[in-house]
Amino acid sequence: MTSIGTGYDLSSSTFSPEGRVFQTEYAMKSVENSGTAVGARCSDGVVIAVEKVYHSRMMMKGSLRRVHFVEKHIGVGIAGLLPDGRQMVSKCREEATQYREVYGEPVPGRVLVDRLARFTHLYTLYWHVRSFGCSALVAAYDAEGPQLYMVEPSGMLMRYNACATGKAKQQAKTELEKLKLGELTCREAVTELAKTIVNVHDSTKDKLYELEMLWVCEESGRTAQFVPQELIDEARKAAEDEKDREDDDDDMDDA
Amino acid sequence: MSRGSSAGYDRHITIFSPEGRLYQVEYAFKAVKSTGITSIAVRGKDCVCAITQKKVSDKLVDPTSVSHMFRLADNHGCVTTGSLMDAKLQVDQTRKEAAEFKFDHSYEIPVEYLAKQVADRNQVYTQHAYIRPLGVVMIIFGVDEEKGPQLFRCDPAGYYVGFRACAAGQKDQEAMNFLEKKLKNAETELDDNETIQTAILALQTVLAADFKPSEVEVSMVTTAKPRFTVLSEAEVEAHLTAISERD
Repeated sequence: MTSIGTGYDLSSSTFSPEGRVFQTEYAMKSVENSGTAVGARCSDGVVIAVEKVYHSRMMMKGSLRRVHFVEKHIGVGIAGLLPDGRQMVSKCREEATQYREVYGEPVPGRVLVDRLARFTHLYTLYWHVRSFGCSALVAAYDAEGPQLYMVEPSGMLMRYNACATGKAKQQAKTELEKLKLGELTCREAVTELAKTIVNVHDSTKDKLYELEMLWVCEESGRTAQFVPQELIDEARKAAEDEKDREDDDDDMDDA
Repeated sequence: MSRGSSAGYDRHITIFSPEGRLYQVEYAFKAVKSTGITSIAVRGKDCVCAITQKKVSDKLVDPTSVSHMFRLADNHGCVTTGSLMDAKLQVDQTRKEAAEFKFDHSYEIPVEYLAKQVADRNQVYTQHAYIRPLGVVMIIFGVDEEKGPQLFRCDPAGYYVGFRACAAGQKDQEAMNFLEKKLKNAETELDDNETIQTAILALQTVLAADFKPSEVEVSMVTTAKPRFTVLSEAEVEAHLTAISERD
């Protein structure tokens, strides 16, 4: 890969000779250093799961929030630099409030993510600011049905049936492609996404991790909320047991 | 091209190199080509048709959420080639221009004037250091109230030109060659179906492959139906069939 940096990567307002904006690409790289985040749009809602890696046993459970809520029907999962993520969520909340003031109704998911994407994109144009170092997975359930979007540091916005980002995104994507999303309910998706994260989790490097999940579905009354802790614990235990069993089988085969 | 003398700032911000070139603007053009997509637009007697490739590499993405065709005003549309996010910003600004013009003057903005506004804005980005040029070529078309169907191409350098047929993106040169042969005769005026089929055929030729309706986006405006519309997959399929039957 020619011209990694070599002076063209110092600011967002510089194109490289191949027409790339390296600063934005580096921002996307910083997302790859964070814990995996996955999302799935099911028949009755959307589920987002993030792998929250704790670097020390002193950290309290529930801190280092990666999952945030905007309005009643929209939830956001952050992958990448979490402080940057909080800025994005803050912006979402501002936009949602402004929309309500002007139009008198809750902002549709499609409009909110469009505004977020344009906001993020602006930071890739000017040299006196840097790009956001995080991706946002946005789950919404409104009159247009359940929707899942991902906004990347470049400002790229796409609607997904399932998506993954973070450390193990390639692996996670492969697992997600096997799911029959049209037939899954959110409850089933909670189990599947927990399984995906447990399977792609790197247990040698990040020993401590928590699963933070949000859903917005029929069961939650189309409100974005944390998935009940019992469900998460159940799903995680089931996934880890299955993984242990598979590892044991592998060991037995080798022996 | 002497790389040695241009080791300074001329590659980083939009100032002149010793040879009088604006490297940053040239790199913006490269950004347009690097997406690997080609777009083509053709103007017929009573219509303008545009076609672009639709490449969604991720199976999990909802393809209806990715589009490079945008409506700018009732009867004006555009196809953008290059960075989709830069394109959305430019489309947003252009829509605002068109709406303000309509509000101020009570009639739809002339297509050429709209293209000029886009081009002037692009020029500003090539002259100011704090913002980079946008990596987008915007092909704007519409049915002008006075002049009929119009087609303009605006590029990152701030250059805008009216065309009978134009192309942008990775294979723009090959597409232009094909279109020049087809429309050699200055009096050649294509009717609606011929225009669409010329655009489709041009894309098929430069890609050297047939494509399915889901792999392209086609939009058009006609004098009879000036509202900017994106063709449905069934309509595209009908044209593809018509082309293959002709051959």
